[in-house]
Amino acid sequence: MTRLTRRGLLGTTAVLGVGLMAAPHVLRAQSRPKVVVIGGGAAGATVAKYVARDSKGAIEVALVEPKETYTTCFYSNLYLAGWRTLESITHRYVNLVQKYGVVHYRDMAVDVDTGKKVVRLASGRELPYDKLVVAPGIDFRYEAIEGYDEAAAMDMPHAYQAGEQTALLRAQLEAMEDGGTVVIAPPPNPYRCPPGPYERTSLIANYLKKHKPKSKIVVCDPKDKFSKQALFQDAWQRYYEGMIEWIPGELGGRVVKVDTKEMTVTLEGGDVIKASVANIIPPQKAGWIAHRAGLTDDSGWCPIDPDSMASRVARDVYVLGDASIASKMPKSGFAANSQAKVVAMDIRHQLLGDRRFPARYRNTCWSSVADDDAVKVGASYKAGETMIEVVDKFISKVDEPPEVRAQTRAEADAWYESITQDIFA
Amino acid sequence: MVAEGRAEGDPAYGEYLANECTACHPPDVTDGVIPPLWLLPTDYFIDALRAYRSGERENPVMQAVARALGDEEIESLAAYFADLREQKGGS
Ligand SMILES: Cc1cc2nc3c(=O)[nH]c(=O)nc-3n(C[C@H](O)[C@H](O)[C@H](O)COP(=O)(O)OP(=O)(O)OC[C@H]3O[C@@H](n4cnc5c(N)ncnc54)[C@H](O)[C@@H]3O)c2cc1C
Ligand code: HEC
Repeated sequence: MTRLTRRGLLGTTAVLGVGLMAAPHVLRAQSRPKVVVIGGGAAGATVAKYVARDSKGAIEVALVEPKETYTTCFYSNLYLAGWRTLESITHRYVNLVQKYGVVHYRDMAVDVDTGKKVVRLASGRELPYDKLVVAPGIDFRYEAIEGYDEAAAMDMPHAYQAGEQTALLRAQLEAMEDGGTVVIAPPPNPYRCPPGPYERTSLIANYLKKHKPKSKIVVCDPKDKFSKQALFQDAWQRYYEGMIEWIPGELGGRVVKVDTKEMTVTLEGGDVIKASVANIIPPQKAGWIAHRAGLTDDSGWCPIDPDSMASRVARDVYVLGDASIASKMPKSGFAANSQAKVVAMDIRHQLLGDRRFPARYRNTCWSSVADDDAVKVGASYKAGETMIEVVDKFISKVDEPPEVRAQTRAEADAWYESITQDIFA
Repeated sequence: MVAEGRAEGDPAYGEYLANECTACHPPDVTDGVIPPLWLLPTDYFIDALRAYRSGERENPVMQAVARALGDEEIESLAAYFADLREQKGGS
């Protein structure tokens, strides 16, 4: 409690020190409108930075995020392959605080009163807001798989919230004997990063082929088809022949039960697989605080206005990123960052009367499948009457020449550097 | 027609539109394959976007970006990046 308070105070002091010099109107501190952002991921950190930067101190921005650093899920599969270090995909909030004057509360939001417009933190501190941004990402529906819960995730990591979980999965892969069986269990739709489990399959195979070539991967899927399927299956055939078995839902692939002591995974079809490493990715829902704040519907995700990402449920609240129902837009870091820019513009329009332009959204997801081979899928979106609609889309082709794939691989690296700067620098 | 180094678009609109570009284009020179946009001369910038839009220049990512831009949007982006180049002290 004392520690949390001190952190809060330190944060505030740091901001005043810089902010006062940078922006004279900060002196009218009491009268500045307040924006509180819950969650410092691709969605929330981008909103915090853009509102603070573009309002030049005229809006007070508080970011509530318990972690000191943010490890991106995007590119975490490259870490699992051994291509990247964990440090290279871990980012700090220091620029948001020091360059743009965002106040970082290293704390959890535990309650939201959308009537009184106050957020309560675990420390007991209350943050009043004029506009609230809710971007907590995902939580898991642990009840869906018998025997799988937060404790089980320490033995059979999901590695679907990056950091400790990702490091755990990598350590297990490193410790595994040659000839082991890796089970990967993708979740049912909708979930974070549709191609994620299949990029992961490709890149774990990439690691195993180099270091433990007698090993196998069994993908136990509740679904009958998946994102970029033809592209992934073509790559599996070309690079990792005989290493990967995919069991679709119609053949009983869904995982119904796990036993972490025996390291077994039971499928709907009745098969029991003995795993050396099991990556179980459970079904998902919006982050816990979105439920607590009453922002979700029966689907477990948050309905939004397609023109602004404003909540359909509560006034003066925005929900974006993975927690939102963005219809055809996938739950991706790219999409979250894109939505954030619309939210930031709408907030400045509402609070300061700044100009408002039509909402535009974009997504592009690159997936690496081998050392010099990546594929991509992307789309442009606009706000329709009731939902976000696709304007235009593209996808890589199965028979592209190697030079095109190598260029796509290089593009992905350039994108990663740019988007992480766009969010954190 | 657009004069050398200048564009007639609305830089405020361009600034908003440019937020989309910074997801992929870096703020400064890197060794990556995607260039910072303020470095490109205005005429070259406009021609490149038109070429992606018509399909004359390949790359599905940039073709999708450019197909979502009308002439007004391209001009506004050009005006914004020209201003940014001036701020950065570029030519
Ligand atoms: C393996 C994998 C690969 C991926 N690859 C890609 C890719 O190549 N490209 C791409 O675009 N996307 C990719 N993604 C998807 C991307 O990581 C997510 O879509 C993105 O992180 C969503 O951003 P977000 O801000 O909504 O959520 P998050 O990034 O999860 O951020 C939410 C933040 O909120 C905080 N938080 C939660 N609850 C609270 C609370 N109560 N109080 C305070 N803070 C809270 C959390 O600590 C967290 O930092 C991948 C995901 C995975 C798992
Ligand atoms: C999804 C990633 C992505 C986004 C978003 C994006 N670009 Fe690009 N851009 C690229 C890539 C990749 C290239 C290199 C393409 C090639 O090799 O032709 C490129 C190249 C370009 C070029 C040609 C550069 C040169 O040196 O010839 C221009 C001009 C350009 N982009 C403008 C824009 C503008 C303006 C925006 C925003 C409206 C934008 N881009 C958004 C990925 C992106």
